[in-house]
Amino acid sequence: MFKILFGTITFSAMLRMSAPLILSAVGGSFNNRAGTLNIAHEAIMLIGAFFAVYGSYLTSNPWIGLLVAIGVCLIVSVIYGVFVFHIGSNPMVVSIALNTGAGGFTALVLYSLFRIRGSLVDSRIKSFSVIDIPFIKNIPWLGKIVSGQIALVYIAFLFAAIAWIVMYRTTFGLHIRAVGMNPKAAQTAGISILKYKWIANIICGIADGAAGAFLPLCGISMFTEDMSSGRGFLAVAAILIGQGNPIKVMLSCLLFGYAEALTVSLQNINIPSQIVLMLPYVATVFVLLVSGIRNLKTQKDVL
Amino acid sequence: MMRDKRWSRDHIAEITKYALSFAAVMLIGAVLIGIQGENPVTAIAAIFQGSLGSGKAIGNSIRWSIPCVLSGISAAVAFKSGVNNLGIEGQMYCGALCAAMVGYMIHLPAGIHVAVSILAGAVAGLLYALIPALMRMFLKINEMVVTLMMNYIAVLATEYITIRLISLSAVANPLSVETPVIDESAALPVLLAGTKANAGIFIAVLTVVVIAWVYKYTIKGYELKQVGENPHFSKIGGINVKKTFASIFLISGFIGGMCGAVEVTGAYKKFTASFAGTLGWDGIMIARIAKNKPFAVLVVSFLWGILKAGSLQMERVTNINRLTVTLIQAIFVLFITVDYEKVFELFSSRKKKRVAVEGGKAHV
Repeated sequence: MFKILFGTITFSAMLRMSAPLILSAVGGSFNNRAGTLNIAHEAIMLIGAFFAVYGSYLTSNPWIGLLVAIGVCLIVSVIYGVFVFHIGSNPMVVSIALNTGAGGFTALVLYSLFRIRGSLVDSRIKSFSVIDIPFIKNIPWLGKIVSGQIALVYIAFLFAAIAWIVMYRTTFGLHIRAVGMNPKAAQTAGISILKYKWIANIICGIADGAAGAFLPLCGISMFTEDMSSGRGFLAVAAILIGQGNPIKVMLSCLLFGYAEALTVSLQNINIPSQIVLMLPYVATVFVLLVSGIRNLKTQKDVL
Repeated sequence: MMRDKRWSRDHIAEITKYALSFAAVMLIGAVLIGIQGENPVTAIAAIFQGSLGSGKAIGNSIRWSIPCVLSGISAAVAFKSGVNNLGIEGQMYCGALCAAMVGYMIHLPAGIHVAVSILAGAVAGLLYALIPALMRMFLKINEMVVTLMMNYIAVLATEYITIRLISLSAVANPLSVETPVIDESAALPVLLAGTKANAGIFIAVLTVVVIAWVYKYTIKGYELKQVGENPHFSKIGGINVKKTFASIFLISGFIGGMCGAVEVTGAYKKFTASFAGTLGWDGIMIARIAKNKPFAVLVVSFLWGILKAGSLQMERVTNINRLTVTLIQAIFVLFITVDYEKVFELFSSRKKKRVAVEGGKAHV
């Protein structure tokens, strides 16, 4: 039991499984702080996953795959932005339409390009290779966890750190937060709401593209229909638990990744996977509940 | 008189919008089918053949319309009053499992058994909606997120409970996790032999009629509408907004649970883990297209059912993936969400700007 809970394999899997969540959720934090509702991460990630595979298939280079994924996801989030910011669509409904449509879209593109259904496996699809970090590799317990991951894992954590700095230590971050917190005040102060919302939306698209590329190119080198399987909603949960603070968001993603890493090993000792998989969602509801109660108290104090 | 005036402007604009969206979507659909190397006409013929072509086909369309009507009206009730209940899926799962449990565990005479099991399912949906409703009522927590999360909890929890019920130890495929078949007495009667079209359609239509009647003829219905349209006004007007919000949530959950229960007692005869697919989301899209109007929900749902039954047939006869139809539906929803007045403004303001930039040149 102890070995399962704190073993190097579990922790290594935790980093691997939380990385796409971190990418997507930290990117989404910008949207969250800029006051744009976006629950379409699931869709954007899935589309990204497909095009990452396609890019990698064409060039046998995972980095090109990543770029293609980011490009396509950028287009999708631009579409999202146009619908939500400019032509008065309800962001929730646009998200739902994208989420339902993405499965059909990827299946359709898969079929029209390759004439296959279900999943795409090909030797030309190359995943990212693992990186061994010279000194850390030799540290007994930590080495096995931190070293030997693919580049995107490190990028994810770096991204979270940079995002935190941008959000809380730069004027740009201040403006984004201002736009979300009090749009009218921001506008009075001369900040263009639309501009910052658009920038946040584009950051979100790029991050979702990277998250999508992670899924097929983290070693399995294949695309399956519905590959994102709820990760986009986990990202939404993480954003809410962390309240848009990149570091907090990253921590909740790590927690989710840990839960996911545990499901496989716990199943072997007869703890049902459903209960473990449920944890992130229950945690989200619980955190919302607690913060709601806390808000209630502060409101009373003010009165 | 007023009615005539409204017909002349808003309605015509609305109808044009829907017609244009429909035409655009048909065009996109034809292109999408063309990309897959098939003739759009063959595909559409297959859809019609599979949904309206024979008695069996019509039965299939009815079968798929039933859950669409119920989840659609569940969403419409909520969204009309400004309650963002994204948790219909979760409420459906709770309702379905409860109905199945009542269906095979308790033995009652025919007639009563069906009613009890559907009611049990509906109440389960209501109770599941109670959690976000209370959180919204007392703590002002955004119900949209809570219900979204609770969908996943419901899917996993019902799967777990089912595993416990049938005492399986470890299962790989969620679709093989299912309860025993319900009693004959707990099943809704089949309408067309050889199909799954069942008496659930009457329940669904009745629900729509009741909801429409409540909106049109009762004070409560007026209050429900008002809360959605103008919460401040209704507060001043003496409506208890909080209470109304909660009750809408519960009604929506009740219908959502009923939807799951009808699926189990009518079509599947047992509860299967992850059975619903995107049904909950379909409901929200249907409500959106129908502008939350009860009878429009009915119409759109039948269209949805026809497309569903037809797409299954289309997949059988042609090489086209049935998900194409889902994609087309999603695109249609996207078109409907667009506020065309804003589009118009966008373009006219651009033109004005260009005129301003180009100065005198614009004045010919």
